[in-house]
Amino acid sequence: MTTLHLSFYSTFILSSLGLAFHRTHLISAPLCLESMMLSMYVALAMWPVQVQAPSSTLLPMLMLTFAACEAGTGLALLVASTRTHGSDHLHNFNLLQC
Amino acid sequence: MDLLLTLNTLMLLTLATLLTPIIFPMLSDNLKNTPTTITNTVKTAFLISLLPMTIFIYSGSESLISLWEWKYIMNFKIPISLKMDFYSLTFFPIALFVSWSILQFATWYMASDPHITKFFTYLLLFLIAMLILIAANNLFILFIGWEGVGIMSFLLISWWHGRAEANTAALQAVLYNRVGDVGLILCMAWLASSMNTWEIQQLTSPHQTPTLPLLGLILAATGKSAQFGLHPWLPAAMEGPTPVSALLHSSTMVVAGIFLLIRTHPLLSTNQTALTLCLCLGALSTLFAATCALTQNDIKKIIAFSTSSQLGLMMVTIGLNLPQLAFLHISTHAFFKAMLFLCSGSIIHSLNGEQDIRKMGGLQKMLPTTTSCLTIGNLALMGTPFLAGFYSKDQIIESLSTSYLNTWALVLTLLATSFTAVYTIRMTVLVQAGFVRIPPLTPMNENNPAVTSPITRLALGSITAGFFITSYILPTKTPPMTMPMPIKLTALIVTILGIAIALELSKLTQTLILTKQTHFSNFSASLGYFNPLTHRLTSTSLLAGGQNIASHLIDLSWYKLIGPEGLASSQQTASKLATTLHSGSIKAYLSSFALSILIILTSTY
Repeated sequence: MTTLHLSFYSTFILSSLGLAFHRTHLISAPLCLESMMLSMYVALAMWPVQVQAPSSTLLPMLMLTFAACEAGTGLALLVASTRTHGSDHLHNFNLLQC
Repeated sequence: MDLLLTLNTLMLLTLATLLTPIIFPMLSDNLKNTPTTITNTVKTAFLISLLPMTIFIYSGSESLISLWEWKYIMNFKIPISLKMDFYSLTFFPIALFVSWSILQFATWYMASDPHITKFFTYLLLFLIAMLILIAANNLFILFIGWEGVGIMSFLLISWWHGRAEANTAALQAVLYNRVGDVGLILCMAWLASSMNTWEIQQLTSPHQTPTLPLLGLILAATGKSAQFGLHPWLPAAMEGPTPVSALLHSSTMVVAGIFLLIRTHPLLSTNQTALTLCLCLGALSTLFAATCALTQNDIKKIIAFSTSSQLGLMMVTIGLNLPQLAFLHISTHAFFKAMLFLCSGSIIHSLNGEQDIRKMGGLQKMLPTTTSCLTIGNLALMGTPFLAGFYSKDQIIESLSTSYLNTWALVLTLLATSFTAVYTIRMTVLVQAGFVRIPPLTPMNENNPAVTSPITRLALGSITAGFFITSYILPTKTPPMTMPMPIKLTALIVTILGIAIALELSKLTQTLILTKQTHFSNFSASLGYFNPLTHRLTSTSLLAGGQNIASHLIDLSWYKLIGPEGLASSQQTASKLATTLHSGSIKAYLSSFALSILIILTSTY
């Protein structure tokens, strides 16, 4: 595997494992999602260059658009929950009325 | 004069005469039947049937009458056709003669019965069915006669239907006959599909006939003629009145199976396997029945086993490829066996219902006509030279000894011949000779001509029938002409040996010692343990198998375990397993996420 491929794979895998295992702060989830998106963007951008298929160079732009929307949604959820619960600690997120 | 037209007309007239007591009472209320009218009808039919037989003997003309044809399927025609050949033309007078004598006897035997006319009507219906069977030219009409005699046998065995043993005996007869019928239907189906005919004259095959239809025919004969394996119904059928035993289960119905094999003989003659099977089955039946008859104490059961043994001998003759000789034995056997039954009926009524030979004795002085005819019948049965049985039985033993066949069959048949002599002499000595063992007050009276004239008539037949039939009919196959002197005398030697043994053993009855129970005597007395073994084992295994299939297989396993309920229970197990994972904690869900990542990681290698 080339160094390029190794960097994509390792970034993606480390980010997704981070998504699964970092459960203290809510902000770590969108952060890991962003890094997953980043690795996928770089991979999608390098791939048409490698295989010399210029018509696929549009693909990272599409992905970026949707990822940005998704990041915005995640941040809005983060801000809303921090406003109501005071912090982004996940163990605070319960519906206790008292 | 047109002999053939006369022959056909007279045969149809015979059958029509027999149908008149059935039809006339339906037409008018004045024409009721009585036992005397039915007896006279059968006598008239006998006299009419003598003429076609004489025409056949004089001119050798055979004929085939084909009446209406049943065109059910376009290319398979089932005509109602009757075949008037040697077998049917000779058997009609014999059957009618024997039936006439039996009906005359039954007017005395069943005189105290309130439904005597119904009894006679049943016997007449049986006779008509039997004659249809004999005269049939295709297997369809034969099957009609076959079923007819089976039904009438059932109705007549259970004549005294208040008696539980009579009902079980009738049921046994019907069930065993049914098992044999399956074989006949198998053969008919095979013939319809491969030869496209059921006509007897078309049943020849140039090459070897396949064994399957012949096995069906042999199964049918085993059921109807009480060969070993399907034999228990014949001794049990002695529950019926003595005229029934005399007519059905000695002369006419039980020979229907053998007659079927005689009619389809061209098919059998090419297949050596089927012939050997007939031979061995007949040898086994004749020895088994003769062994069982040795320790019987009921006079009717002894004669029943004797019938069974003679039927085995007829089967052996079929196995030797000699159908005409088998027919000769059927004809001569009818006379003396019917006479033996009538004599036993006369003795039973004279002793007020006593059937145990240990309680008879010294009847020679008290019932002279009956006992002399009993002696004549027993001598004829044993094959005494120049009585009726000799002409057929001795020829059979001679052909057996000079053929290339299974030694086992030969040994068994010779042993059975000597056993025949043993039980016959035992019966004669215990019934007629010696000291009197009967209770003192008995209604002993044989002065009625309704008793003596049938018995003496049949005695005349037993003496002369063999001689007359063999002198007027030419054999189709040459009998063995030369053989060594001991072989020629084999039947006589084994019979004399049997007589000597029986006379020695009968002296034991005067020594007042209890007979020791040996293995052989127990085997013989309990009829070879066949009845309890088969009746209990087959019924329990079939019923248990039925229960297994119906409830265990279908209800419990297919519906519960594998079918609809099984599907439900497996789904339930799966969902119970899965709900433990639906805990609601995000740790579980994210860990499944991590698990899939790890799988991706490891799967790229």
